[in-house]
Amino acid sequence: MGFTLQGVEEIASLHGEPDWLLERRRNAFDVFERLPMPSRIDEEWRRTDVSGLDMAKFSEFEHRNGAGPAEALEGVAGTVTMRGSEIEAVRLDPELAGAGVVLEPISVAAKTHPELLETLLFTQVRAERDRFAALHAAFFADGTFLYVPDGVVIDKPIVGQVFSAEGGTAVLPHTLIVAGRGSRFNYLDEYLSPADEAAGYKSGSAELFLGEAASVGYVALQKWGRNAWHLADQRARLDKDASLRLFNVTLGARFSKTRVEASLQGQGAEAELKAIYFASGEQFFDFHTLQDHQVGNTRSDLLFKGALQDVARTVYAGLIRIEKGAARSDAYQANRNLVLSDHAKATSIPMLEIDNNDVRCTHGATVGPVDPQHLFYLRSRGIPETTAKRMIVQGFFGDVLERIPFEHARRLIETELEARLG
Amino acid sequence: MADFEIKDLRASVEGKEILKGVTLAINKGEVHAVMGPNGSGKSTLSHTLMGHPGYTVDGGEVIFKGQNVLALEPDERARLGMFLALQYPVVVPGISMTNFLRTALNAKRGYDGKDKSKQVTPKEFRSLLKSELEVLHMDDSFLPRYINDGFSGGEKKRAEILQMAILKPEIAILDETDSGLDIDSIKFVADAVNRMRGPDLGVLIITHYTRILQFIKPDFVHVLVDGKFVLSGGPEIADRLEKTGYSEWAEADEPAVLKPEEVA
Repeated sequence: MGFTLQGVEEIASLHGEPDWLLERRRNAFDVFERLPMPSRIDEEWRRTDVSGLDMAKFSEFEHRNGAGPAEALEGVAGTVTMRGSEIEAVRLDPELAGAGVVLEPISVAAKTHPELLETLLFTQVRAERDRFAALHAAFFADGTFLYVPDGVVIDKPIVGQVFSAEGGTAVLPHTLIVAGRGSRFNYLDEYLSPADEAAGYKSGSAELFLGEAASVGYVALQKWGRNAWHLADQRARLDKDASLRLFNVTLGARFSKTRVEASLQGQGAEAELKAIYFASGEQFFDFHTLQDHQVGNTRSDLLFKGALQDVARTVYAGLIRIEKGAARSDAYQANRNLVLSDHAKATSIPMLEIDNNDVRCTHGATVGPVDPQHLFYLRSRGIPETTAKRMIVQGFFGDVLERIPFEHARRLIETELEARLG
Repeated sequence: MADFEIKDLRASVEGKEILKGVTLAINKGEVHAVMGPNGSGKSTLSHTLMGHPGYTVDGGEVIFKGQNVLALEPDERARLGMFLALQYPVVVPGISMTNFLRTALNAKRGYDGKDKSKQVTPKEFRSLLKSELEVLHMDDSFLPRYINDGFSGGEKKRAEILQMAILKPEIAILDETDSGLDIDSIKFVADAVNRMRGPDLGVLIITHYTRILQFIKPDFVHVLVDGKFVLSGGPEIADRLEKTGYSEWAEADEPAVLKPEEVA
């Protein structure tokens, strides 16, 4: 294969995809061919260097063989497991299936639910955005489609897990979630590969559509191996009175760039956007966020918290956009960075674009080391420095961590923090 | 040889010499008060003894259990049996008091995450907490809260004393524990310290004002002025300061008793 038109057609034919989807892939491929690699002249890429990325090196898809085994999850309502670029298993509580919930690979849902997918797929995460988004839309491997009908409430979370192990390949999963009016549920995407996996290209984008008064928790936990290139978009559209709690957890990859965006299109909609990231070694993380208040009486609350150590670097750039008609909107944005080494560097760029005066907007950013007073206080009680630091970092993340609606994910994060902090 | 010996301790802050040779011997079972006007070096003394990184030791030694503790990290000093009740207890977001106390107790017992036999069991910890809280007449409502977060001045000082009660130090330094406290809180702290007094505990109370010494009777009083002791003796020194303040030594004639309106 390769990132060629022929490659596009091979994937579509392998899945037996309908014509509209093949067409969509072809259009995305055109965009991919047309757009140049982003360079540091582009504002969004000014601090984000992709010159070392040779995509052609990773143009093979990872297959199922060699990928790590999935640990069985307990306490979930459904799972979609992918190994490499292939779906391994889909499981859904039969009661939910009976209530009209659909949990299917996108390659299947494109045929069974074209009315939803044809209208929605790649309308939030758009190929035109840049060359990487175009690559993802043209070559996405497969992924999760979740539809929860009007009024259906799911207590246990639904989890998508993508395992990778080969390196040297492309792993491009996609998630499409449609929440019916008044539905309520939590969904988690986990992207996992061994820390020492060879370099590869990974995406892992998600589109969420929240109908009127839907209430959705979405978690994306990225823990690819430490050599990976990861470029992803997570974007949600919220109708009237919808409520989104989105958590981005970024722990893996050598290079990770994620855009997290909420488009508030209905009055009364509210989006909580939170992130935890921990960059060690030579990791580089870039986050671009958008809180797009298109109509009035909408609320957004963003808090991105990161810790950095060794020679890691992070960039956060976030925009609150309040459009002209969006009176009485309320937006909050904060980026907090805990810098644990003299050689790590966090950059934070909050931005506002406000076309309406009758709004409330607050934003702030902090970048700093562990407070020496905190450290001394803990140590003065006999707690060794390493333990004290770990407690402080865990405490720093605590207010976001405790809101993540799935214990399995919280544990995974805690284990990783402990491993990194010694 | 006393249990805890400070010998000719000299220390500076940001290059400025503050302690200019402090010598003091404390035995377990004794309560010493160090009194001094503003800027005399009281806080430098307490922080230097505990190893705060903002203070530089320029000379001298502090011998405790046969070791010069000035060469130890703050947490090593604490595990050896030292305790500092801070004048301004620090708010640490994200860590609950319970977690803090449990981790500190485990550290004191030498539990490093490996040897489970040294770890305090949940049951033992609960019962220890319960009995100490009872003795201190404290309720447990602040335990799930973050360290000192949203605590009143009095609650912070009570929490310091609770930590002391749980960690059971052999040398306790109380740094201006009375400052900013109302009379009820001072009595509370004093009662608690008096209950802990005994042959296993040496106490160093650092204070500007004589007030707390009405409730915790010291065996010895030392007056610190400009980084040196200018007078040492028995509790009668506190009475003398009560009348004359620090006028004998300090340029600014600072009283050692609070004005009536400050007592409220």
